Amino acid sequence: MVKRESPLGPALRPDLHGRSDGGSGVTLSEVTPTFMAEAAAWPGGKKILAAAIGDVTGLALPASPNAGALGAGAAAFSIGPERFFVAGSEGFAARLAAALPLETGTVTDLSHGRTAIRIAGPRAEWVLSKLFAIDFSADAFAVAEGRATAHHDITAQIQRTGATQFDIFVFRSLARSFWRILREASAEVGYEVLSGEG
Amino acid sequence: MSPRRASAGGLIDRGRSIGFTFDGRDYTGHPGDTLASALLANGVRLVGRSFKYHRPRGIFAAGADEPNALVTVLKDRVREPNIPATQIELHEGLAAESQNRFPTLDVDIGALGQLAGPLLAAGFYYKTFMGPVIGPLRGTRFWMLCERFIRHAAGLGRAGYAPDPARYEKMNAFCDVLVVGAGPAGLTAAEAAAKAGRRVILIEQEPRTGGSANWSGETISGKPARDWATALSERLAARGNLRLLTRTTAWGYYDGNTVAALERVSDHLPGAAEGVPRHRHWSIHAGKVVLASGALECPIVFPGNDRPGVMLAGAVRRYIGEYGVLPGEKLAVFTNNDSAYHAAAALKKAGGAVIAIIDVRPEIPSAARALAEEAGVAPLLGHAVVGTAGKRLSKISVQRFDAATGRLSGDVRPIDVDCLTVSGGWSPAIHLASQAGGDPVWDEARLAFLPPAPRQDWLGAGAFTGAATTAEALTSGRDAGLKAVGKRPSRAKPPTVKAPAIDPHPAPVFEIKAKGKAFVDLQHDVTAEDVRLAHREGFVSVEHLKRYTTLGMATDQGKTSNVPGLAIMAEARGLPIGEVGTTRFRPPFSPVSIGALAGERHGHFKPDRLTPMHDWHVENGARMMEVGLWHRPMIYGEPGETIEQAYVREAAAVRRSVGIVDVSTLGKIAVKGPDAAEFLDRVYTNTFSTLPGGKARYGLMLREDGIAFDDGTTWRLGEHDFLMTTTTANAGRVMQHLEYFLDIVWPDLKIHLTSVTDQWAGAAVAGPNARKVLEGCVTGTAVDTEALPFMGIVHGDIDGVPVVICRLSFSGELAYEVYCGAGYGRHVWETLWQAGVPYGIVPYGMEALGTLRIEKGHVAGAEIDGRTTARDLYLDWVLSKKKPFIGSALMDREGLIDRNRLRLVGLLSLDGQPLDSGAHIVESGGLETPGRSIGHVTAACYSPALSKYIGLALVKGGKTRHGTRAFVSDPLRKRFGPVEIASHHFFDPEGRRLHG
Repeated sequence: MVKRESPLGPALRPDLHGRSDGGSGVTLSEVTPTFMAEAAAWPGGKKILAAAIGDVTGLALPASPNAGALGAGAAAFSIGPERFFVAGSEGFAARLAAALPLETGTVTDLSHGRTAIRIAGPRAEWVLSKLFAIDFSADAFAVAEGRATAHHDITAQIQRTGATQFDIFVFRSLARSFWRILREASAEVGYEVLSGEG
Repeated sequence: MSPRRASAGGLIDRGRSIGFTFDGRDYTGHPGDTLASALLANGVRLVGRSFKYHRPRGIFAAGADEPNALVTVLKDRVREPNIPATQIELHEGLAAESQNRFPTLDVDIGALGQLAGPLLAAGFYYKTFMGPVIGPLRGTRFWMLCERFIRHAAGLGRAGYAPDPARYEKMNAFCDVLVVGAGPAGLTAAEAAAKAGRRVILIEQEPRTGGSANWSGETISGKPARDWATALSERLAARGNLRLLTRTTAWGYYDGNTVAALERVSDHLPGAAEGVPRHRHWSIHAGKVVLASGALECPIVFPGNDRPGVMLAGAVRRYIGEYGVLPGEKLAVFTNNDSAYHAAAALKKAGGAVIAIIDVRPEIPSAARALAEEAGVAPLLGHAVVGTAGKRLSKISVQRFDAATGRLSGDVRPIDVDCLTVSGGWSPAIHLASQAGGDPVWDEARLAFLPPAPRQDWLGAGAFTGAATTAEALTSGRDAGLKAVGKRPSRAKPPTVKAPAIDPHPAPVFEIKAKGKAFVDLQHDVTAEDVRLAHREGFVSVEHLKRYTTLGMATDQGKTSNVPGLAIMAEARGLPIGEVGTTRFRPPFSPVSIGALAGERHGHFKPDRLTPMHDWHVENGARMMEVGLWHRPMIYGEPGETIEQAYVREAAAVRRSVGIVDVSTLGKIAVKGPDAAEFLDRVYTNTFSTLPGGKARYGLMLREDGIAFDDGTTWRLGEHDFLMTTTTANAGRVMQHLEYFLDIVWPDLKIHLTSVTDQWAGAAVAGPNARKVLEGCVTGTAVDTEALPFMGIVHGDIDGVPVVICRLSFSGELAYEVYCGAGYGRHVWETLWQAGVPYGIVPYGMEALGTLRIEKGHVAGAEIDGRTTARDLYLDWVLSKKKPFIGSALMDREGLIDRNRLRLVGLLSLDGQPLDSGAHIVESGGLETPGRSIGHVTAACYSPALSKYIGLALVKGGKTRHGTRAFVSDPLRKRFGPVEIASHHFFDPEGRRLHG
C-alpha cells in the first residue's frame, strides 16, 4: 500500500529548537490519525448522533456544546450545532457510515483533508494563547473538550487531549504554514519537535 | 558622582553604573534610571527643540505624560523616533539622540522661525495656503509648492529606512478581574479580587509597581510606602491566580470589556533572547475591569513656561524619590494647590536649595505651611510667576497676583533659579473610562474631569476617581476589588497611612496673563493666545478647538494640556468649564508600535496554501505564483525561456499531445442529504435534480441581485451525495453564500455542507493523448468513451490508490480530472506523469491554462467579475426557464437586459503586438487622445493555436460588433493599436476535439 505523505514535508525536522539555555516549554509533533470525518445530524438530533458515534468508537460523548471524549484509538468533539469531528482508525469509515443512516445525518470523510498537530508541555496554553483568542485555561477548556476556531485565515479545530496537551486539526493545505507559525510562537519558550506519533 | 545626583535615596542601584550616549556624548547612569533621570543627573537640561518654533525644551514630566523630551532611540540600524525620555529605561549601550534640530541641539537654525512666531499662530496654514482663485498658484497649488519646506521645518523625529529586525507578538488573555494600574489603589483592588479566588490580571505601565508609593515618602502600615507596595506586589505575583504585567500600558478599552495593552518585553534590555519579542500586544478579555490609573498633574500656563528647567512638581518629587536626582541647584515652586509643597519639602530634604514658593492663593492651610517650613522658605502668597529667562532657565520674574480677578500688580521681582517646579492641580487619568463611553463629569471643587458613569463593566479606584490621598486610594481600591467579585465593601480598617493632611482643592487659576508666549500644549506649540484666536474666529466647540489649533494632539494626546486649554476657552466664552466639556479620549492612551499590532504577521501577511503536489512543482522548475492564499505553478520554464515562450510551449503541447495540470485548488464542497438535489436546483441557474448518478454537470450561480457569481461542475456521486466544485478564488465565498441560505432562508432543507477542498488532490490530464495516458495507469475501470463519456464519472485505482475520474474539459481538449486522497496526491501525479512520458507529456501552469481557456472562450473570474450577468457572458443556455433559482427574480431587470451592456467578445490583435488585461477598447483616436471607451480587455495571451495575440473583452453590444474593428487603448502602458472584434470561441467552436 502506498504510504500517505505528510503535508509538512521538509518543514518537519525532529530537533530541539528555541531557547538558548536549552530548555523546552513545549513539544510539537504531527499526530494525524488514519481516519478523520465530520459527522452531522439533522436539527434536534445531536444526542442520537453522539450515541451513534459512541457505538462505533466506544466513546461516551455528551451532546452539549464544546463537548468531547477521548478513548483508546478514538477521539471526538463537537465543532458546531449537531456536528462532531471524529478521529480514529480506518475501520471507522464504513461503520460510521452504517451507523448514520440518512434519516439521522451524514458523515463526510476528511482523512486526507485535515492534519493534526500536537502541542504538549507546561507552556502549551501560553503558546496557543498567542494564536487563538480563546481561553485555554483548564477551568474554561476541560480535557477532551473541543473548540472550533481560527488563526486569521487558518481554520482550526482543537481538542484538549491532556492536562497540558492539545491536538490541533487544520486544513491540510495550510498545515505547513501553521506549523511554521506554531514553531515561531513556541520559540520564546523553547520547543522540541518529535518525530512521528508524539 | 553625577552633579545632580542626591547623595542618597531613590530606587536606583548605585552600586552599578551603566554607560549610554545622548547626541553622541557618553554619560553614565544606574540601573533603575530612565533616560530622563540619567540626563537630569548628568546636568543635561536641554534635550529637544519644539515642534513649530524650535524653542529649546527640557524634561517636563516623569512619566507617560511627558510632552517635550522626545528622543530618537538608535538600536542596530533602526531609528525609533518620538519616544519620551521618561519612558526609556537605561540599559547598557543605549544610544539616543535629540530631534527637530539642525545642525545641533544647542545651535538650531530652525529656531530663527521664532522670529516669525506671530505669523505662525493657529490656523496659519489654512489661511495662508488656500491659494488665489486664479493664476499659476491657484487652489491648492501654492500649498503643494510650499509643503516640502514646511514639512522639513516642522515635525518631530525622523524614522529610518532599515528594516526592523525585532520580533513582535500578540497574546490573548482571559480573566475575571483586570486591574489597570498597580499603585496603592490597584494593588489593594487586585489583592481583594485575588483573595476571593478569581483570575486576576494586574497591569502596570512602569517597570516597578507601587505608583506614588515609590516617591510619596509616606508610610503605610508603619512601613515606608514603597516597602509596603513591594511586599504586597511580591505576595500577589506569587499567587497562582494572579498575573502581574509590568512595563505594560493598557491603551484601549473596547466593546465587550476587551482591553488592549502593550507590554514592552525587552526594550529595557541590551538585546532580546532568542524567541523573546520586543513588544507583546495583549488583548485582555475581562469579566470586570478595575481602573486604578491614577492622576496626571496639570501645569499652570504663564509666559515662558516652556523653558528647560520648568517642570511639574509631582515629577520633581518622583525624580527625587525614585531616582535620587535633584533637577536643579536653586529651585522654586509655583502652585495653585497644596500638593506642590510636598515637592518643596522633598527638594530640601534631598539637599536642594529651595529659593522660593510662589502660590497664587492669598492664604494656605496649616499642613502646607508646615511643609513650607520643612523646605525652609516662607511662601510668597498671592503671587504669580510672570516670566522666565535663559536658554536653560536662569531666572524667573514674579509679581503680586489676585487669584479672584486674575490681576497682576506691583513690581516685577526677578529671582535667580535654575529649576521651577509647577503644579496646577491633578486630573484623574480617565482616558480608558472615556473610551469605554460616556461624558466625563467636571468637578468644580477639584477643578478636574472625573470619570463618566460606566457604560461598560468597570469600577474605579484611587486617584482615578478623584481621590486625593493614599488612605482613600487603599480603601477605594479594596472596595472596588471586592465589588468586582460580587462582594460588599469591607468594614475592616484599611492599612493606616501617615501623610500630611493637605487640602486637595486647588485655586481656580489656570493661566497667568502677562507679556510673552505662554504655552498650553508644549508638544504642539499651542499658546494660550492661539486658543483665544480660535475663539475669536468661531472655533469654539472643543472638537473644533482641537482640530483648529492641534491642542491635545500628537504623541502625548494632551495629557498636560487638555484642562488648561479648555479652561482658557471656557473663560473666553464666558461659560463654566463643565459646559464647554472635553473631547472624548480615544485610543491609544500612549503610542503603540505598529509591529505589535502586526504581531506574528510581521513579514507574513497571509499563510501559504500548498497543494499536495507543491514540492514536485518546485523540484521540477515551476515558477510559482500566488492565487489568493494558494501557490500555483505559473509556468514550468526551461532555461532561457521567457514566460510567453514557456506557456506557448506548454499550451501547444496540450493541443498536440497531452499535458497535466494541478487542479487541487478548485473549491470542493460535499453536499449531502435528502434535499441535496432540491438545494442545488435552487442555488444553480440550471437543473441538477435530473442529473443521473455518476455524471457531472456544469453549473452557474447568480447572486440574489441577478449578477453572475460563480461557476463550476457538480458531480452526482450518489442519490443524495454531490460533490460541488467552485472556482479557486471563490471557494470560501460560495461556502458562505450556501450556508447563509441554508441557515437563514431554507432552514427546513436537510442538507449538510462540508468543505472537502483539502481532502482531494486533483490533476487534469488534457490533450488528444489523454485517454492513452489513463489507459496506461488506471486499473479497475475502463476509461473508453462508453465507460467514461463526456461528463461521466468512474471509480478506479492508480498504482493501488483509489481514484475518481471525471471526463470534463476546461482546455477544449479531450480531458480528465483525476481525484485521489490528498495524501496520495504526489504519488498519483507522478504515476500519471510516468504513463504520459511516452506521449511527451508536459506539466502546464496557470499561464498555459489561461491560454487554453481564452482560445476556447471559457469564462473565468476576470469575466465573472461581480458586474456581469449570465447573458452578458452568453450563458443564457444555462438559465432554466422551468424553475426559480437564486437571482432569477432580479436578473431580468431593465438595466440588466439592456442591449448596450458590456458583453463578452473575442479580440484579435491586428498589429502583431500583445494585448493587456485592463486596456480599454475605443473606436477612434490615438495614443495621446483615445476616443471614448466602449469596453475593456479581461484576459489576453499569445495563442499558439491561432498564432496571434488574442484576448477576451467586455464590449458594449457584444456580438453585434463581431467582425468590426476597434482599437485597444492602454495609456498607462503606452499601447494603442488596431484589433478585430470576433467571437470569443476562437478555437474548435464545435467542440469536436473535446469529444474526440
